[in-house]
Amino acid sequence: MSRIAIARALLLGAVLAIPPVASAQTTDCAGLSNPADIVDCVDRIMRGESSQGISTMEVVTENWSRAMEMQMWSLGTEHALVRILSPRKDAGTATLKAGTEIWNYLPRVDRTIKIPASLMSASWMGSHFTNDDLVKESRLIEDYEITLAYEGDRDGVAVWEFDLIPRPEAPVVWGRIGYQVRKTDTMPVWARYYDEDGELVRTMTFFDYRNLGGRLVPATMRVVPEDKPGEFTEVRYSELEFDVDLDEEFFSLRRLRDAR
Amino acid sequence: MKGAWWRIGWRNLGRNRRRTLITVIGLALGYSAVVVMTGLSRGLVAEMIDNGTGMLTGQLQVFAEDYLPDRGIYDTLGGREGIDVEALVAEVAGDPRVAAASPRVYAGGLVSTGAATAAGVVLGVDPEREIRVSRLLTYIDEGRAPTPGQYEILIGREMANQLDASPGDEVIVVAPGADGSLGNDLFIVSGIFSTSVTELDLGYAVAPIEVVQELVALPPERIHEIAARVDDPWAADAAAAGVRALIGTDGPTADVRPWTEFRPEMVEYANLATSMEWMLIVFVFGMAIWGVANTMLMSSFERRREFAVLLALGGGPALIVRSVLAEALVLGAVALLFGVAVTVPVLAWWHAAPPDMSWVYGGFTMAGGLMRPILRVEWPTSMIFITGGAMFGTALLAALYPAWRSSRVPPADTLAGR
Repeated sequence: MSRIAIARALLLGAVLAIPPVASAQTTDCAGLSNPADIVDCVDRIMRGESSQGISTMEVVTENWSRAMEMQMWSLGTEHALVRILSPRKDAGTATLKAGTEIWNYLPRVDRTIKIPASLMSASWMGSHFTNDDLVKESRLIEDYEITLAYEGDRDGVAVWEFDLIPRPEAPVVWGRIGYQVRKTDTMPVWARYYDEDGELVRTMTFFDYRNLGGRLVPATMRVVPEDKPGEFTEVRYSELEFDVDLDEEFFSLRRLRDAR
Repeated sequence: MKGAWWRIGWRNLGRNRRRTLITVIGLALGYSAVVVMTGLSRGLVAEMIDNGTGMLTGQLQVFAEDYLPDRGIYDTLGGREGIDVEALVAEVAGDPRVAAASPRVYAGGLVSTGAATAAGVVLGVDPEREIRVSRLLTYIDEGRAPTPGQYEILIGREMANQLDASPGDEVIVVAPGADGSLGNDLFIVSGIFSTSVTELDLGYAVAPIEVVQELVALPPERIHEIAARVDDPWAADAAAAGVRALIGTDGPTADVRPWTEFRPEMVEYANLATSMEWMLIVFVFGMAIWGVANTMLMSSFERRREFAVLLALGGGPALIVRSVLAEALVLGAVALLFGVAVTVPVLAWWHAAPPDMSWVYGGFTMAGGLMRPILRVEWPTSMIFITGGAMFGTALLAALYPAWRSSRVPPADTLAGR
């Protein structure tokens, strides 16, 4: 199984349409100077209260590559629903996240199954994300000691680079996370995940910053695992809406079978 | 005149029959102990290898070179193009030591009833061929094996408990496909197997090979493994070499591995057991040698006047030594006859009807192989002879000192009673 496990808000943002957004709070973030406050601010503004959108996930592996179009709904950090729209073979397949549980709906057999804890580190829909990436949810500031590693220009862009070292008791798998944020608009640029031996395990890059749903967001995010050269998963948003009218009842098993 | 020495030895044994009988019984029991213990030890090793290889893996496996250790779904024999499965199975079965061969597909995935889901390996097999290679399909304690071509699945007892599923129930099987899709289909539970090996009972399910291939989007010519049965497990190395030669260089690049390579821990245990057999011989006869030496010393001391007469008549020390050694050898021969007469019938009975020890202990696993609660005995053919030789050696060695002492008896003093 993959070592990839928890990328927290960043991953959820990518997969479950809680995209990194820059809203009115951007100004607040820009005004901060304490590293922990900045990361926490970026972390928090990347979670919408609720959202809905359409994205394409492209997965390239050594053996196959495919693109899936997905529709997604989310409410806070606890509830999310993803339904695959294409390709036809997988269309209708859906994943529901409700708290710490994950359920899958399989249209071919018209059945819903609960994903057991033992499969949480398995790949989600063949991508470089794991089921665990979808479920685990906490704020970076709670699990990591955050320090400013660099402040200045990178390729002509003013950035902060933060070092995130896990707190001793934090239930995380990473030994360190490096995180670069643009100073001008507090947009994330990349996040690098290292194991406990200090080896780079995977890199997540954010780009294609544009307005979607009235907000500036990195519309594309790519995850590249270090141990599988040439492989990656890329999520591109084509539609996004924020603060849509959703409540907890929406994220039900009935809805999982029949998402609209 | 050669036979005279043996007659003399034999008659000397008759001088004190009780003492001779006790010595013979001592030696014969030593012989029996070594042979029976060796038989038991070999039974234990055979049981471990039989079950460790016979239950699932087979004694020989053929798979793509890069298949292990990850067992990736893409790493099929012959790569993406696959192979002529029937031709390769026939080649593997072509070695005279290979009794049967069976193609397999492995898929890692989920078996679910909806609310309960178990993760495991779905093994795709041809049930009719598989049953001649591994015994997994003989452990069915409820229902039956899956029917070829049908969406039927045989699951382990622990998995069935976890899913609360019985034969006839419907389960969903989900497995990532070789094309990146999420293979999923409905299967009917055809039966439940119970091997007592938790790893198998909890983590394995068996379905027809063509159905598993369809589930994980593999065409019929793509399989992961050919498993083969070699009746004499110790011939598996030679069989692997034979199969490699049969596949040849023009065939698919395949790794042919005997169980001695993929289960090295069992080979280590077997080697340990063999070295213990030799230690057993040394211990048992190392103790017996003192008893025999004592007997020989006593009997030669009683006969010192006789030896003095022989020496006085010009018989020479060599004659005395030969006489005592002949006696020891005859003693060894009698003990061997006695030992064989007792041991062989016991071994034959024990081998044919190993006692059920389930009232003392249950089945357990050792080096990954299931050990049934029986006291299995295998014929330690080589040890029957080696132990016999060791016993003669013991008798002879024990007689050397008494023989030497007897040949040094001073004739005049001894005959004068001084």
